[in-house]
Amino acid sequence: MRPIKSLTALALSATLGASMLSTVVLSAAPAGAASSLPACPTSALSKASGTVNIDFWEAMTRANETALEGLVANYNSSQSKVHVNLVQQGGYDVTWSKWQAGLTTGGLPAMAMIGDSNLQGAVDSKSILPVQSCINATKYNTKTFLPRVLSYWKVGGVQQGLPFNVSAPIFYYNTQAFSKAGIAKPPATLPELIADAKILKSKGQGTMGLKLDAWHLEAWLATANQLFVNNGNGRQSRATSSVFNTSTGRSLFTQLKALVGSGNAGTNPANGASAYDNLLGIGAGKYSMTIDTSAALGTISQLLGSGQYPNVTLGVAPFPTLKANPQGATQAGGAALYISNKVPAAQQAAAWNFMSWLDSAENQATWSTETGYIPIRTDAASTSKVQTYWAANPGYKVPYTMLSTGVTNNATSGAVVGPYDQVRIAIANAENSMYTGGASPKTALSKASTTVNSIIAKYNSRI
Amino acid sequence: MILTPKARRKNWGLAALFLFPSLFIFGVFTFYPFFENFRLAMFQTPPYPGLPSKYIGFSQYASILSSSEFMQSLLSTLFFVLLVVPTGLLLGLALAVAAHKALRGMAIFRVIFSSTVVTSVAVGALIFGTLMNPIVGFLPWLGINPNPPLLQSPTWALPSIAAMAIWQFLGLSFIVMLAGLQSLPDDVLEASRVDGAGAWTTFWRVTVPMLSPTIFFGLVVGTIYAFQTFGQIDILIGSQNASQLHVNVLLYYIYQSIQGTNPDPGQAAVLSIVLFVIILIFTLLQLRFVERRVHYAGK
Amino acid sequence: MPASSAPPQLASPAPKVTHHLLNYRLRLIARYLILTLGSLIVIIPIYLAIVNSLLVPSQLAHQPPPFFPTNPQWHTYPDAWSSGHLGVYIRNSLIQTIIIVSLQIVTSVLAAFAFAFLEFPFKRTLFVIFLSTLMIPFEVTVTQNLSTISSLGWMNTFQGLTVPFLATGFGVFLLRQAFLSLPPELREAALLDGYGNVRFLTRVVLPLSRPVIAALAVFSFLGSWNQYLWPLLVSGNDNKIRTVQIGLKQLAATQLDQINVSLAGTVIAFLPLIILLIIFQKQLVRSLTAGSVK
Repeated sequence: MRPIKSLTALALSATLGASMLSTVVLSAAPAGAASSLPACPTSALSKASGTVNIDFWEAMTRANETALEGLVANYNSSQSKVHVNLVQQGGYDVTWSKWQAGLTTGGLPAMAMIGDSNLQGAVDSKSILPVQSCINATKYNTKTFLPRVLSYWKVGGVQQGLPFNVSAPIFYYNTQAFSKAGIAKPPATLPELIADAKILKSKGQGTMGLKLDAWHLEAWLATANQLFVNNGNGRQSRATSSVFNTSTGRSLFTQLKALVGSGNAGTNPANGASAYDNLLGIGAGKYSMTIDTSAALGTISQLLGSGQYPNVTLGVAPFPTLKANPQGATQAGGAALYISNKVPAAQQAAAWNFMSWLDSAENQATWSTETGYIPIRTDAASTSKVQTYWAANPGYKVPYTMLSTGVTNNATSGAVVGPYDQVRIAIANAENSMYTGGASPKTALSKASTTVNSIIAKYNSRI
Repeated sequence: MILTPKARRKNWGLAALFLFPSLFIFGVFTFYPFFENFRLAMFQTPPYPGLPSKYIGFSQYASILSSSEFMQSLLSTLFFVLLVVPTGLLLGLALAVAAHKALRGMAIFRVIFSSTVVTSVAVGALIFGTLMNPIVGFLPWLGINPNPPLLQSPTWALPSIAAMAIWQFLGLSFIVMLAGLQSLPDDVLEASRVDGAGAWTTFWRVTVPMLSPTIFFGLVVGTIYAFQTFGQIDILIGSQNASQLHVNVLLYYIYQSIQGTNPDPGQAAVLSIVLFVIILIFTLLQLRFVERRVHYAGK
Repeated sequence: MPASSAPPQLASPAPKVTHHLLNYRLRLIARYLILTLGSLIVIIPIYLAIVNSLLVPSQLAHQPPPFFPTNPQWHTYPDAWSSGHLGVYIRNSLIQTIIIVSLQIVTSVLAAFAFAFLEFPFKRTLFVIFLSTLMIPFEVTVTQNLSTISSLGWMNTFQGLTVPFLATGFGVFLLRQAFLSLPPELREAALLDGYGNVRFLTRVVLPLSRPVIAALAVFSFLGSWNQYLWPLLVSGNDNKIRTVQIGLKQLAATQLDQINVSLAGTVIAFLPLIILLIIFQKQLVRSLTAGSVK
């Protein structure tokens, strides 16, 4: 357990006309004894004769997969030093399972897109080369990157992975249903959402599709500036227990229980065959609104805009915060690109070469307009490509605005937890126990808290 | 016949050669892993390979067996097996009795009933998964539209999967029961009927006892089938939701410990031993209570 | 003297016979009713799957979904085949199955022959050892087997997929029974003719045991085709050895809103087996019931 000095966060907000930018400076004092970074073997790439082939494990599907294939083809044809071989894994969980399997079989790729929940796991597995070392070695300029996006993937002040496909939970709704129910604008807060659900149901316009996703719960807590785990949300030092069993947490659970209990919302799990029933339900008219990742925006727009669903016009709005006048902001989510330290040096350097290309302003502009992931740098957002696209498709701007505004601190940077996947499952289970098991919000929340604590304790004891 | 010592030894050599392939495979892939479980179960394994394991002896058994997750997995498994096996066998028996006579169209019926034997796990799961889907399935039309939907409800997910498993088991059960029925000597059945026994009495007092070897076989085969249920759970529910929906039967729990969100080989070893013991108990129980009643013709 | 109330001994048989006839007809109707009901239970899901595979996705969201495709989307079948890579998966499943079935037969025939016709020390002990493998289900050994396969470097290879299954205690048991039930005079006659053990095996035993071996083949085929857990664990990221079962799961996962395509995939995977069932009915029955009827 390395001692990690605390991060100092300064938040400056400036309102400039229509757009709000929040610049945050996070200065990380270098940790005392231990964290000397391994070197980034950039010279190995230039010394290598011939093309260096690297495998890139990625978790994209449908429209997002097509977009990624396009970018890779571009990169491969634009130079001959590195050839990237795209390996589609179909999901973050599959990628992580394969990565763990690869730790024994030695079949790790040079580069992988690993989901947000596996950050601490990647660090603990000692199988990655933190990108910070390559950032330092190549003097890569991250000044225009959105601060909260970078800070999510920094542990102990060290940038572990390079963010690439970043998303936030956003609010999807059927504008036709809303206008038929007489609701003028989408809800800005959870209480408004609950009120709107009641009206929509009474007017026969469908209800709310509530996905049982712990990520959404974390987002609600983050907008209320509520920490998830201790030790600075796991960022100052390894988290040892949960800290969300507070009045804020209880308020969240109470409202959700009221929403589902009153019959104004249907639920579906976040994984498995029914993972997108909430969005499909909008097409079927069962739901008129839902919350889901902005990463699905491209696919859903294609689907609902295909003309097969004449009663549905897709609307997109920011994630309704837990309270009005939010003290916090939503955290970034999605995935980042990691370099494996189990491959030859030339491949590691090649991986850095490719991922830094992917994160160029121009490529982030292309990527974001084709998928729904946000452009993670302001100079990508300000390109005419993105600006024109946003003018025509204002929904795509929504997650960017959410992640580029608001304070950056430990709460809004999101939590860092080793057994994060298990923790999320436990919390979703506790949430569901309110809906199907009749548990009270207080009981459900404290059960979530104790289960999470024991999961974290067991994991920490095995490290 | 008497063999010379040389011939006898040649026989031994040949026997060794013939037995070797099977023994080798069994040794490496059946016995070794089985015993290795006992050793591995004593170690607390790290979340990622390469980090050291800690020897903690039997306390690992204690901590896993006393955990609520294990308890719930055990209950789900028992409930599932007790639901699938008797129902499947009864339905198979009923259909076999109905299809037993050589009447018109019987051949077609027999092919139909046997067909679920060839529906593989993935096929069955996808078909039933679609039918039970709350949006694109048939249940809302039939008036069954609970919230949460069947395959997302902690109460109904396991019975739904059991229903699917019974459907898939039906083919095997039917074939076994039909073969058993067809092997029964007609003379005994004729004799009892002439004696004035009604069809129902004949069935229960004569046919079923004579079918007991078949029923015993069906029980053994069915139990193993039920314990092996895995694919349907993986396709329809998935690793993330299995424990919450109470469908993490023992085998699935083992899988989660191998390749789930947080692999734990030590835990997987403990659970594998538990699975073995439970199947052993079930088989021994069946041996004792059912086989005792098995009536062998001519004995 | 009680009034004579003796039952009429000479009651005409007609009422009794009619009673029986009526009973018979009722039972016949009941029988066909059960058969029809059973058939519906078995067929309806399959029928619906076929229908749904031909519907347009938005039709699927109707309540009720149509029972007959008015606008059959035939393209779902070629779609499932190509984008679902079903051709590759079926090929992989076939390779896997052929390897397992043929080698299980080889190892079982050899071992069963040894137990049935050869004398050697510790024969009974060894047989018990073989039988004991029936008590150790594969699922109990999965954890360590995965470890073994991966340390051999056999992950995502056909060796890794098939080798753990190349021997079967059930096959040895079954074939030994069959060999032992051959008339002993054959053995004598062969010896008198100067046949060695191997010739006895190939010229006499095997030809006579064809039905049982066919039954074992069917049993092995079904078992291996239907495998899910092991292929799931051993397959890699690509289609190199991915079998139909895992492929179908993959197809469904990537087609969450094109359910008609994934159902078309299941039909493609299912129909050939139905055809095989119809052709090989007898062997199927024999293999599945071996051991049940004493």
